[in-house]
Amino acid sequence: MSMARPAGAGARAARASLSWDHAVFAMIAAAVAIMVTYPAVLVFLRSISTEDIGSALTLEWLRALFDSSRSREALVNTAIYAAGSSVLAMALGVGMSFLSTRTDIPGARMLGLLAILPILVPPFILVVGWVALADPNAGLINIAASWLMGGRTVAFNINTMFGLIWMTGLFLSPYVYLLVAAGFRNCDPAMEEAARVSGASRLRLLRTVILPLQRPALLAALLLVVIMSAGDFVIPSTVGLKARIYLLPSLIWQNSSTFPPRPGLAAAQSMLLVVIGLICIFFQRRALQRGGRYTLLGGKGAGLTTFPLGRLRYPLAALAFLFALCSSLLPVLSVSMMAFMRFWAPYAMTPENMTLRNFRYVLFEYPKVWPSAQNSLLLAVLGATLCVLLAVVLAWYIIRMRGRFAGLVEYAMVIPLGVPGIALGVGILSLWILVPGGIYGTVWILLLAYVTAHIPVALQFIGSALHRIHNDLEDASRISGRSLLGTLRRINMPLMRPALIGCWLLIYVVILREVSLVILLYNPSTIILSVGLMDIWGSGFYPELAVYSLLLLVLGLVPVVLFGRFAKFTAD
Amino acid sequence: MADWQRMDAADARASDTSSVSVEGLSKAYGQDATLRALDDFTLEFPAGQCTVLLGPSGCGKTTVLRSIAGLITPDSGRITIGASTAFDAASGTFDPPEKRRLGMVFQSYALWPHLSVADNVGYPLSAAGMPKAEIRSRVEAMLDWVGLGGMGGRYVHELSGGQQQRVSLGRAVVGNPRAILFDEPLSNLDARLRERMRIELLGLRQRRPFTSIYVTHDQLEAMTLGDRVVVMRAGRIEQVGTPEDVYKRPRTRFAADFMGIPNLLEGTVRAIQPDGIVVDTVLGPLRTRGWRGGRSVGERCTVALRPTLMTSSPDPQGEAPFGRVIRSVFQGTSTIHMIDVAGTAITLESFSEERHADGAEVSVKPADGAVFALLDD
Repeated sequence: MSMARPAGAGARAARASLSWDHAVFAMIAAAVAIMVTYPAVLVFLRSISTEDIGSALTLEWLRALFDSSRSREALVNTAIYAAGSSVLAMALGVGMSFLSTRTDIPGARMLGLLAILPILVPPFILVVGWVALADPNAGLINIAASWLMGGRTVAFNINTMFGLIWMTGLFLSPYVYLLVAAGFRNCDPAMEEAARVSGASRLRLLRTVILPLQRPALLAALLLVVIMSAGDFVIPSTVGLKARIYLLPSLIWQNSSTFPPRPGLAAAQSMLLVVIGLICIFFQRRALQRGGRYTLLGGKGAGLTTFPLGRLRYPLAALAFLFALCSSLLPVLSVSMMAFMRFWAPYAMTPENMTLRNFRYVLFEYPKVWPSAQNSLLLAVLGATLCVLLAVVLAWYIIRMRGRFAGLVEYAMVIPLGVPGIALGVGILSLWILVPGGIYGTVWILLLAYVTAHIPVALQFIGSALHRIHNDLEDASRISGRSLLGTLRRINMPLMRPALIGCWLLIYVVILREVSLVILLYNPSTIILSVGLMDIWGSGFYPELAVYSLLLLVLGLVPVVLFGRFAKFTAD
Repeated sequence: MADWQRMDAADARASDTSSVSVEGLSKAYGQDATLRALDDFTLEFPAGQCTVLLGPSGCGKTTVLRSIAGLITPDSGRITIGASTAFDAASGTFDPPEKRRLGMVFQSYALWPHLSVADNVGYPLSAAGMPKAEIRSRVEAMLDWVGLGGMGGRYVHELSGGQQQRVSLGRAVVGNPRAILFDEPLSNLDARLRERMRIELLGLRQRRPFTSIYVTHDQLEAMTLGDRVVVMRAGRIEQVGTPEDVYKRPRTRFAADFMGIPNLLEGTVRAIQPDGIVVDTVLGPLRTRGWRGGRSVGERCTVALRPTLMTSSPDPQGEAPFGRVIRSVFQGTSTIHMIDVAGTAITLESFSEERHADGAEVSVKPADGAVFALLDD
């Protein structure tokens, strides 16, 4: 009998140890923990193996990391790119969150909404939209500049390192906004009043109280965008490759898929990303944990000091709204325009060139579009559902049962947050390529990758929702005669419904547009919409690309529009 | 047979209310089980009676309650509810909470915010698979019983604290449980509402006697609600008795302290008499009643003095010693005097509004029955 289990595990664990529920939940939790851990380990193993894992060990690939000039170049580029886009994303995210929460800027609520809107916009839309705006030849901005200045003027060339940083910074700014805005809003008014009473001016208050209190959130946001930008795939492997700016993720892809493939080198490069990612995640977690000491429950935002912008009020508002538009509506509009054009060239901006042909072709004639849309929807729906269900089980195991492995499972669950999609793909591939008759080459390996990558986010969502439900509510149901599963269904699920829906929608949207994770795992029979976009990008026919990416945007938005009002989107 | 069918015949008399018995229950927490929350706890909870577990936080009272509920698995011991064994460490028997047919009223009420009042109350019935029409009529009757008739369609957040408490009580009673567990149910209410709910609870129990096990740290609640009071300390039983028993004759220093007796004096036994002992204290020789067994002249002994049974006066009262008034505080129905007698602070409570001036010299005299000797801890 397991009665005499270590008492430190607590009463609930002891109670559950007597039941099957516990055993089943523990097994699922352990399986998920292994699932999220092995890719990182396998990336390492693959990077020191001559061939597939199990072959002779070698240091050749790790050496090639620094010996090959292209690899060295990619290292330097990745560093510049990650630093640049992180700085831009931080400046935009922090700036907009401060402006929209703590100042008298006009349209503050609207600005807050616009600032997080880009999360719904697939990066591909951003890419195509900004190509349409800032292509050196046919970009709208440059056409306008040439028309204004005369001759051929290139005001903004997207095919440059700055162009890459610009798009990535815009793309990442909403994540910074989300992490920081809550902190600005939930300050404790008493702390600020105390500073004001003690004689601090508004600026001094900002410098000595408000910003220092946000330091953990700021640090966490910074580390997050560093990981996300270093591992970003879509922007580097579209515009980046076109501009011949090689970054680690795009090079990993090339080394894996172009002839002659060098999977060992790809693994070594992935390894480097994993190491950077895990270091960042380690410090990010620490920052967030320390943040726990700072964040105040019950801060309702009432009575917080508002910062008057004075004469800068309207200029700053104009600037903020401009940036907010740059990352969502502007690219969506320019993509939409491009979608109606017969062909895309500087002189083609005329009404005679407007056509619906691209829509007809992509939606009805292009053979790959419906099979891949089917695959995409199947995977997004299944993936999001699985993530949510597994996260409920995991959250219950970690928070309520406090099972024997709860700490370990919880720790394992942060690993995917530090492993960029492409590296996760390399790790998953390294295992399943060895299993004959396994899931390699089927849609199930894609599903596995999606679940592996997104379950940590789901767990954060659902864990915080479960934390908010008082234990007594569940105990009362058990005493009233319902079993554990009955209680989960009748009490926990309804109470957590907004969080469950929010979590499902978020993961659905992210899976639908995910490229880096599956670019190494798909094959022609399992092609999905987002990967199909890479194909069309290669063909270089932009109007069709525009239609295709709009299709992706719409499919992602449909459930959000339908069910968004039942959802709660913040993890805390 | 489904639970609800058994409940069909249930009115006040034919209820399933059962006795609960707990034998040798132990539970330890912490590294290497060093923190003993419950230490070989044995007690019988008679059917239809209200047993109050009274003690400070950490004394193990909640552990007993949650063990009976099945929310905690004790390390050892046995719990029997009615005729069935709900938990037996020796044989590995453990009924999960949903199988124990109990009701529970939580300190936090634990009402489900996503369900209406009627659905909250009817939850145990629907969990037992009762048909909807049957549930509706039962819930209505139950809402009437707790004084919330016609409010079934509301949601929990629309109710006041007292009303929420009644919903929670209705939910605990509706399924005709074998016993009802109360986990400090009144401590979230303000003082006046607490008093009203206490009286109401008494009234409800008179109309329908159910086995209740009531946990509290409030001695007034214990006094008014309990048929029997169990004073607990560090996982063990300190004293069991009727409320009157425990109040008038606390056995130990701890129990006396917890029952609100502030005056505990150290003294020496001077003489043994047939109906008590005489103890020398700072107040002079005091004659006690009770607990004289096993004592001999010259031994150290702690005596307690009930503050309401002492008098103070500026005039001499026989041979009563004089002390200096530290403070006299008027508090409505009574006046509290703190008096320094030879370096020991004595507290008196008088029901006159007369106050002494700070620093005044007054005589302090215990009335008959004010003094009793305590067992050593």
